[in-house]
Amino acid sequence: MAHPAVAVLESALRARKLDRTLTTTLPSWDWADPSCLVPMDVPLVDACLRGGLPRGQLSELTGACSSGRMTLLLQLMAAATRRGEIAAFVDTHDRFDVASAAAADVDLDRLLWIRGSEFGAPVDRAIDRALKALNLVLQAGGFGIVAIDLADVPAVTLRQIPFTTWPRVQRVIEGSDTACVLVTPEPLARSAGGLTLSLAGRSTWAGVSDRSHLLKGLDVRVRVVSPRKRIDGDVRVSACVP
Amino acid sequence: MTGQCDVRRSGANQSEGSVFGALTTVEGAPPGVLAEVAREFSPRIEVCSPTEVVLDLSGLERLFGDARTIAEELRRTAADRELRVRVAITGTRTTSRLLVRHRAGLTIVEPGNEAAAVAPLPITLLGDLTTTAAEPGTRERGTREPGTLNVIATFRRWGLRTLGDLAALPADDLAARLGRQETDWQRLARGEDTGPLVPAVPEERFEQSLDLEWPVEELEPLSFVLGRLMDQLEAHLVQRDRGAAVLHVRLHLIKTDGPTREVHERSLQLPVAIRDARTLRTLALLDLESNPPPAAIDRVTVAVDPTPGRIVQFSLLTRPLPSPEQISTLMARLHALMGETRCGSPAMVDSWEPGAFAMKSFMPPDTNAIHTRRNIPRHRDTGNTSGDANGIAPVAALRRFRHPIPIRVHVKHGKPSSVAMMQRGLSGGAVDSCAGPWRTSGGWWESKGESRIPAPWDRDEWDVALTGGPTYRLFRARHSDKWFLEGVVD
Repeated sequence: MAHPAVAVLESALRARKLDRTLTTTLPSWDWADPSCLVPMDVPLVDACLRGGLPRGQLSELTGACSSGRMTLLLQLMAAATRRGEIAAFVDTHDRFDVASAAAADVDLDRLLWIRGSEFGAPVDRAIDRALKALNLVLQAGGFGIVAIDLADVPAVTLRQIPFTTWPRVQRVIEGSDTACVLVTPEPLARSAGGLTLSLAGRSTWAGVSDRSHLLKGLDVRVRVVSPRKRIDGDVRVSACVP
Repeated sequence: MTGQCDVRRSGANQSEGSVFGALTTVEGAPPGVLAEVAREFSPRIEVCSPTEVVLDLSGLERLFGDARTIAEELRRTAADRELRVRVAITGTRTTSRLLVRHRAGLTIVEPGNEAAAVAPLPITLLGDLTTTAAEPGTRERGTREPGTLNVIATFRRWGLRTLGDLAALPADDLAARLGRQETDWQRLARGEDTGPLVPAVPEERFEQSLDLEWPVEELEPLSFVLGRLMDQLEAHLVQRDRGAAVLHVRLHLIKTDGPTREVHERSLQLPVAIRDARTLRTLALLDLESNPPPAAIDRVTVAVDPTPGRIVQFSLLTRPLPSPEQISTLMARLHALMGETRCGSPAMVDSWEPGAFAMKSFMPPDTNAIHTRRNIPRHRDTGNTSGDANGIAPVAALRRFRHPIPIRVHVKHGKPSSVAMMQRGLSGGAVDSCAGPWRTSGGWWESKGESRIPAPWDRDEWDVALTGGPTYRLFRARHSDKWFLEGVVD
């Protein structure tokens, strides 16, 4: 039996949610409960994720240009909207392609699109506004997926974002049904219970002759990185051009 | 026997000592003026049509005098409002309505003489009496189905020409031929009422005002004032089971514009009926943050255009969506932060223009509506064997540059061989694979010299993969022979 003083201390830490700052005291995540997960409806990836991205956690889709980040994000949104949930996308640099989303079967009526600054606006100002918008959406609650696109932000600028930003985001969504997803060029701010999907892509082509040669799609390699290495997988999926 | 019962019942409906007046005016009179005239004499009025009002004048003789004096007073009051009216005062509403339609000027019938007064009137008046179109907010008693005119035609085929002819028919025989319900016609022909007067309820205003002792310049103190007014407004709306469709905020400023004081007025169109005081206050404040008043405020008025309250049925089986109040507040905050045109739901447009889209307000449909949408899984023949066990493959997405970025492209044998970027953050290099050109054009039919939406386009598109790098979509504008980067396949 623990010493009474230790029990009081643990109780006080639990009351202030400070017990979760250590990964060793993380609450056990119920991976068997499908309601705690956001599936992507891509069986290979879902199997690798053991069901999907966790709700109430901050996860990441990271990778270089043309690595399939947007492709998987649209899959996530399409799956969520098909289930009747609503999704939000904070588009920091206004790069969202509506035709691609429609082709990916995203229910556009259930998607809140927040368009960031147009081309040429100061990057730091665009990020500041995008993060404020993200915070507003998360605080409103009720969204199944909330994603923010930081893919085109230079790594130097990303590192200038205050470190406290991401724990604050995590505190907002903790215990909620919302899965927050960052789209970044490199791992940035996954929460303790979240997942990082590290992506690498290669375009695939069809046809041999000049006349028949055409872009077939993307071959995306998905590598899942989880806290405490509980889930770690490597899978390849093919995305086709609509 | 049935007819006799009806006659006795109709007599019971007719309360003794009742005096009813009917006012009618010509077509085209300003709406509502006739009702205003009637309300000056009695709170119990029934608006039969925009040009006809029935009012209960019982007890007015002690105030004005006899029925003729009341009628003259009615006509004089209407004349003050530039209305020429006919007035009939009788003991029943039906008699008043029949007579006012048939006789010009003033008509007075002593109580008890109603049947005799209406007996010589043409039977076609019954059709006018029952086929008047009911206006919103009015009650039309005795409105019949479209068979009304058929019944009157039947009466005419029987040789009946006047209401007196119809009233003289034996009630039993009439009921035997037309049915019991149709004996109401005979009661109308005798000038009897078929139901009580249903008073029109005056339109209720949902408005709250507060005069401030000291002018307010900042929004923060104004929020407390708005909160107080919104609480009162919410209580009123709840009491009447109404919600706000449009919220009006009027701020009276201490600044004067000539002889009148300036009023800063804002109107918010709400997506659904809302009556939550906190939501309304937040929406008003967010709007005022974007459109602040130019001077200090010394009087605040909030008003709403009411609409029937929402009835919401929640489900235990589906994940709850944010309430419309939450979405409205969120959208107002986002609009204040990002701009009104930059938040909402994307929508496809019927155009071949590359990147064309539309924005609409974010109002997710009911969760149950998901079952009515396409629920068919996507099966694409991707031809791949490595992707997906079920043959469902993701769709490669494009990251689109809203304003295409100028680039330099070296062309060899009619195909791009290398790409050079003129902007930081994008990598160029030698082309590994490419496909194209895919030629599209459009918008050229729009007349020149006008702001053309969509702008005309004429271009050759290429899908290009750089060696060890990204996959781009490029295009060459044919009119200028310049190359642009349209997006990145990601």
